[in-house]
Amino acid sequence: MRTGHTVPTLTPAMIAIWVAFATVPLWIEKVGLYQYLGVEILIFATYALAYNLVLGHSGLPSFGHGAFFGLGAYGFGLAQLNLVPDLWFCLGAAVVVASAGGAIVAAFISHRRGIYYSLLTIAFGQVFWFIAIKSHAITGGEDGLLKIARLPVRLGVATFDLTHNISLFYFVLAVFVAVSLLLWRLVHSPFGRILKAIKQNETRARFVGYDVWRYKAAVLVLSAGLSGLAGGLFAMAQSSAFPDVMSLHYSGYIVMMTLVGGGLVTFWGPVLGAIVFLLARDVIGAFTTGWMLWFGLLFVALVIYKPEGLGGMFLRPARRKPAGAK
Amino acid sequence: MSIVGLLPHLVNGLALGLLFALLALGFMLILGLMEQINLAHGSLFALGAYFAYAIATPRLPLPPDMLQVWAAVPLGWRFTAAMFLAPVLVAPFGVVLERLMRRTYGRDPLYGLLLTFGMAMVIEELIRIVWGTRDYMLPVPRGISGGFMMLDLIWSTYRFWAAGFAIVAMAIVWLVIEHTRFGALVKAGAHDSEIVQALGHDLEKLRVWVFVLGTMMAAVAGVILAPIWGIRPHMGVDAVIPAFVIIVLGGVGSFWGAVLGGLLVGMVVGLSGAYASEWSMLSMYLLLILVVTFRSRGLFGKKSVLEA
Repeated sequence: MRTGHTVPTLTPAMIAIWVAFATVPLWIEKVGLYQYLGVEILIFATYALAYNLVLGHSGLPSFGHGAFFGLGAYGFGLAQLNLVPDLWFCLGAAVVVASAGGAIVAAFISHRRGIYYSLLTIAFGQVFWFIAIKSHAITGGEDGLLKIARLPVRLGVATFDLTHNISLFYFVLAVFVAVSLLLWRLVHSPFGRILKAIKQNETRARFVGYDVWRYKAAVLVLSAGLSGLAGGLFAMAQSSAFPDVMSLHYSGYIVMMTLVGGGLVTFWGPVLGAIVFLLARDVIGAFTTGWMLWFGLLFVALVIYKPEGLGGMFLRPARRKPAGAK
Repeated sequence: MSIVGLLPHLVNGLALGLLFALLALGFMLILGLMEQINLAHGSLFALGAYFAYAIATPRLPLPPDMLQVWAAVPLGWRFTAAMFLAPVLVAPFGVVLERLMRRTYGRDPLYGLLLTFGMAMVIEELIRIVWGTRDYMLPVPRGISGGFMMLDLIWSTYRFWAAGFAIVAMAIVWLVIEHTRFGALVKAGAHDSEIVQALGHDLEKLRVWVFVLGTMMAAVAGVILAPIWGIRPHMGVDAVIPAFVIIVLGGVGSFWGAVLGGLLVGMVVGLSGAYASEWSMLSMYLLLILVVTFRSRGLFGKKSVLEA
């Protein structure tokens, strides 16, 4: 890690990743995949980056992040169906609802760490998931919230339609760029350095005089809000919001993505993880039933032998080489 | 609602609580000595149920004539055989799991949690590949199926029988832990593994046996609960969550904490079911959050490795 105080806002690696993503719609169908997969990868990459703020950058092993992603999806859908069908308003609603969920959880668990943090986030995740399933009148129960429209992007002077997957892809890419830039700045800000101190030794950080509780709460709320933003995009991409994404399975998937990609050691690891996870689902899934068997074994092998993940493998020889680039 | 109206919910909750306690005890055994959260505990529970189904119905990969002979045996015998054989068949999975986990000993317990979550996904997918995604029902022998009348209410015979069995199983585990040499070693190993090793005991072997015992308890709980809950691929995840809720609620490392936690969760689920049946499972999380907010180590918890 660099010891200097200034980390550039834009790095070559960052721009390379954005440009690489921008070319995806040009070739993704030529390699036998489909446009929607690109959208999904970007949404989950955004989600994984947001999640890694908690896991990788602050050392808080949340196992219930699916709840925030799902809250964002429902927030987006409900705002659109019941309030104002405007893209910016609905995405804002997704962020607000998920942040509020994050704040409730943070209020109860921010004095915890380690395994207890994991276990309590599982419990809270289950509470939200359960409520989503049982509140038929609001969320549509197990069938979910249907007929969520892909709203047009209104920019004052111009309006873009997002009904096609390619245009949606570029909109999601824009959000991804914004979120990754924000998180990059945040992680390398004084706030980010305090998070790192808390990750390394919470007690010491407290003795130095930082209000650890407040930092841990803030980072969870922030991560929840950005996860909710990804959830809102997902609701739009799927044209629906359903409780599955809030289940323990999905909460675990995001942990798997983040760890497999190398979120514990590199900023871009979660992006690589999202790519590997979704490609594995589609490519292994095309050849065999039970792709999770193979991905699960890969994950187990990585936990045992290489917790730094795939990103960590690239990182060894050249320091700080970005792992998300294709 | 009157007291009499609540009685069936209370009794059913108590029965459920005993089964939950049995499920949680295996989980806690592994947590106690190994200092590992085994999120695959539920998957071993599920495997127990599936193996029992294969043995009892019977759908076994045997030559047809042997299968016919086995199918002709009365269900009571097949069910009994399933109850004892299924845990034995699941035990090797526990041994494999322990082998894999060995690499994470001494590291942040988070790695064990992640590893076992991965293994839970793997086992669940294996179940889907072998048995498909449909639901199964484990048939119950006639002697303990059906219901009976008491206080003008209909009671499920099997639930009483299952609760009784859970008590017996837990009593056996208690005897093993409190009154055998093996149990003494397990407790000593959990307390101070270095000294136990220095005294010349093979801690590695001890760990394998603890894991086998925990695995078999999960499988037994799976067999007993299968006729009540049904058998489906994600039953493992459905089961491991109550187990960890009970452990955190009762306090990590406490036998009676796990039993009391199980009973509490069962009763709360049962009683809330009387007022809002749809929402009854939610109550156990709320109970957990409530208790842990005021007693951070649960009811009987001591300081443990989880707080590192």
